[in-house]
Amino acid sequence: MEKQHHIDLLPGDVGETVFLPGDVHRAKFIADLFDEAKLIAHSRQYVTYTGTYKGVRMSVTSTGIGCPALAIAVEELINVGAKNFLRIGTCGALQEYIKLGEIIIATAAVRGDGTSREYFPLEYPAVADLYMLEAMIEAARQRAVEPHVGIIRAHDAFYAESILANGDYLQLDKPWIESNVLSTENESSTLFTLTTARKCRGGTILTPVGHHLFPDAMIGDEELKNAIKLESLIAMDAAVILANQKK
Amino acid sequence: MGSQDIHSEKQHHIDMAKGDVASTVLIPGDPGRVALFASLMDEASKVAEKREYITYTGKKDGVPISCTSTGLGCPPTAIGVEELIRIGAKNIIRIGTCGAIQSFVKPGDMIIAIGAVRGEHTSEELISMEYPAVADYRVVRALIDACEKLGLPYHLGIVRTHDAFYLESPWALGDYRKRLQPWVDLGVLALENESSTLFTICSMHGMRGGTILAGGYSILEEHAEEDKLHQEENIRKMVMAGIEAAKLLHERGLA
Repeated sequence: MEKQHHIDLLPGDVGETVFLPGDVHRAKFIADLFDEAKLIAHSRQYVTYTGTYKGVRMSVTSTGIGCPALAIAVEELINVGAKNFLRIGTCGALQEYIKLGEIIIATAAVRGDGTSREYFPLEYPAVADLYMLEAMIEAARQRAVEPHVGIIRAHDAFYAESILANGDYLQLDKPWIESNVLSTENESSTLFTLTTARKCRGGTILTPVGHHLFPDAMIGDEELKNAIKLESLIAMDAAVILANQKK
Repeated sequence: MGSQDIHSEKQHHIDMAKGDVASTVLIPGDPGRVALFASLMDEASKVAEKREYITYTGKKDGVPISCTSTGLGCPPTAIGVEELIRIGAKNIIRIGTCGAIQSFVKPGDMIIAIGAVRGEHTSEELISMEYPAVADYRVVRALIDACEKLGLPYHLGIVRTHDAFYLESPWALGDYRKRLQPWVDLGVLALENESSTLFTICSMHGMRGGTILAGGYSILEEHAEEDKLHQEENIRKMVMAGIEAAKLLHERGLA
């Protein structure tokens, strides 16, 4: 088999579980939390490290922003043997009771993106894998964290619906806020539909860096770093839980 | 964020403020291509790097030109373009790769887009589908003149922008030829993943967008494994044409 066209990987290059941060530089940040890790490939915005944590082989591949780029990464990672995909990301909070830097675990995603629509009829639901979801909740509680668990919204146009938007973003947010959607981001709807359809596992853990109802508050650098470290460790522990369940 | 001047401070994703970019910015999808731009300039230095957005600003024959990578797809491109416009960019030209779908396109040909099929969703979030994704005619003219000056063969026409690479490429699952036939019949030149959002956002803001792509054999035809070296050379020529077009826009008082 030739190297995959965008991510530049071969079968055997990654573990069964791959973490998917959007931020290109976050791949190294996450890999540094493993017990040991090696840089495997860097092509376009796709940076891949593979290593082990608590005896389980795992990888991290950055996807860049958005569903089109994530779809490519997931398709190609599946081609080289990955099965479990766990997005580790940031988001904008929508519910008044959610604070910046807290942990959100997605049960499912509003399909506000175009990529999943090209692939699947809109009625097909974007649902996280149940076992991955449970493993993440368990892993969070083991670290004395009570996560917000629920539906998130994924969509394509950041500047249509963020606190930095050109127009009245709260008008656009209204139906989602009223329907218990926890936060908005840009990747999970395609992650969930694609992994479900390909008989793989998908999950997402997020931390809010801004709040749609409190637009003047932005998370500080140190607080953000700690929140990303925490969500990454929870994701890694969840991967270990899943791997041990298989045995 | 809401109460601050969105123009005076660093933009949230591209990490730059007014003064950091020239009024003409070339935008490749691949962060790796920005270094190629820098090597073709008389002088260039890195201004910012955050996420997939790497920016160099430099000079060619005295003309200031910037290059900011956007990453792959319309969502990050929309972010990059919006923020570049907020800090003063006026001409934004995509310098990219594509999958040609017409058999008359050959490796070494350039493709200059006059418009794009809005087969993606990002622009739809910003404005309804009737609004046209049209390149700015002055940028198109500069790209044509640049290709003529550099002796590069080119095709002028519509490109298709869409979101799902693996539904419309040679590695696609399912019958991608059947999916693509309506576009082939309409004379669409190539498939790619960014231009319709670029054109839409530029038009909405009164700025000037354009796209030049390095062509290759049609993805609907069987071809032996292309010589990778030639593809790199064709991309190099495409970036040179982008730089030349930026110079022409400056000469014509459009920068």
